[in-house]
Amino acid sequence: MVTPVLMIVIPLLAAFLMPLIKKAHRYFTFSILLLNAILSVLLFAKVYNDGAIYETIAGFSPPVGIYLAVDNLSALLALIINLFATINFVTSKKDFKFSMLYLLAVTGATGIVLTGDIFNMFVFFEITAVASYALVASKKDEKAVEGSIKYMILGSVGSSFMLIGIAIIYSQLKSLNLYDIAARISSMDPKMMWLSFSFLLTGIGVEAELFPLNGWVPDAYEGASSNIASFLSFGPSKASIYAIARLLIIFSMSRTYELALYVGIATLLIGEVAAFMQKNEKRMLAYSSIGQMGLILIAFSLIKDTSYAIPAAFFIIVSHASAKSSLFLISGKKGFGGITSKYVGLAGVLSLIGMPPMAGFWGKWYLLMGIADEKMWAVAAVIIFSAVIEAIYFARYLHKNLGEGESEDLGYSIPAAVMVSVSIIMGILPLVYNMAGGVLNA
Amino acid sequence: MMWPEYITVAALISIGLYGVMAKKNLMKIFIALSLMETGVNLLLITIGYIPGGTAPIENGNFAKYVDPLPQALVLTAIVIGLSVTALALTLLIWYHSKTGTLEYRRGMRW
Repeated sequence: MVTPVLMIVIPLLAAFLMPLIKKAHRYFTFSILLLNAILSVLLFAKVYNDGAIYETIAGFSPPVGIYLAVDNLSALLALIINLFATINFVTSKKDFKFSMLYLLAVTGATGIVLTGDIFNMFVFFEITAVASYALVASKKDEKAVEGSIKYMILGSVGSSFMLIGIAIIYSQLKSLNLYDIAARISSMDPKMMWLSFSFLLTGIGVEAELFPLNGWVPDAYEGASSNIASFLSFGPSKASIYAIARLLIIFSMSRTYELALYVGIATLLIGEVAAFMQKNEKRMLAYSSIGQMGLILIAFSLIKDTSYAIPAAFFIIVSHASAKSSLFLISGKKGFGGITSKYVGLAGVLSLIGMPPMAGFWGKWYLLMGIADEKMWAVAAVIIFSAVIEAIYFARYLHKNLGEGESEDLGYSIPAAVMVSVSIIMGILPLVYNMAGGVLNA
Repeated sequence: MMWPEYITVAALISIGLYGVMAKKNLMKIFIALSLMETGVNLLLITIGYIPGGTAPIENGNFAKYVDPLPQALVLTAIVIGLSVTALALTLLIWYHSKTGTLEYRRGMRW
């Protein structure tokens, strides 16, 4: 029997058992993460077959009690986060405190995508955020501490804003349940609704690396050790962009979607242009992450208009989570020294700039299809323009790194290769699926 | 309406935001963050408050009691604020030992 609550409880419990298991902590953490990944596969299979799961916690029925709500997309996101967290953890060489924080951060990110209660979501946000501040600082040099402090200042302001937004919703509707809020949101005073929406968007936007709120991103990614930079790019950021998608669906006004679209476009353009002008490699990758987050937000902001929006967002999330995380993993060494890191670099870059047959291609393909359906040519032009910039700076990145480099560290490049392979598999699968469908139809 | 409470909330949050944006000293920034958190907690408490209400403890003889949920939320938020502050001060000690100063030297870098 697979229940979503296990995926939150098991790593949380394991994290606090860690001080007792000091010696074998790495094997212990790895097996817990693996167990969680297996559970998320089972959960996805169950949700895919039987439809969405709503699970009440501690026996209090929904409008009062906390409950978990899992649909296809949130099960898939939980799967992505837990799978990559498992692969990424192989590269950890630190002590048990690191493993503990890592498990807490994974718990929080999983909780954000599975929860159906807005205050519960806030608590999981804080769990992930506080663990991530500490993880960024765990390298203990000046840059790491500086990046962590910057992340912490912006993150704390963001979480206060999120709490204000929740307080406003609660004062109007006396409810914290996401579905209850969604059902009764139209009875709210429009001014209060906009106020709470803007507070929530600002608060979550800090974690989701949206445009005016992402000052911490390059510093934290540059300061953090390469496996933590990798974790940040598939864990907290993906969970928070999904939280924004849920928020958009709840508020569900054409003007809020429009606002999200504009924020997404601004994030995309600023991120890509800043990455283009950046000389430092890790900072370039971080800015490129910002650009991709903008792309995901654009996809989510079209959720109401076109059925292409969800597949587009899903494929961009998969492509970015696998490709960018693996590029961050091998960024510890200068250049791509060996055949494995050459493979990782090449495959990762191809997926990020959207070359077929990679996952990134399908993301941009579905997104452009959706935009073409809606005839929003200006948005399409912005996306194509940013893709061109992306291709230019990634070509420069490859040119600089594909030649001679330091000898590679297989401990990092093999997990990275496994991660980036997900991008290729997810790129080929729709192709096979479409061709098989074509054969069946004919 | 309970105007004095809401004015206090607005004042605390704005003082906190001003401190975060305008101060260079990291210790002052973290104090400002704590102020802001207090403001938000006060907002939550104010939302749940009913004039003349008693504490929401079930002992058989209450007629009017304040909304218990915001109080539970504030309790959680206080714990979170405490952990953030503790971590912030730890990082501050590290920052001071690395750089010898509490001033934030580099602002936005591109």
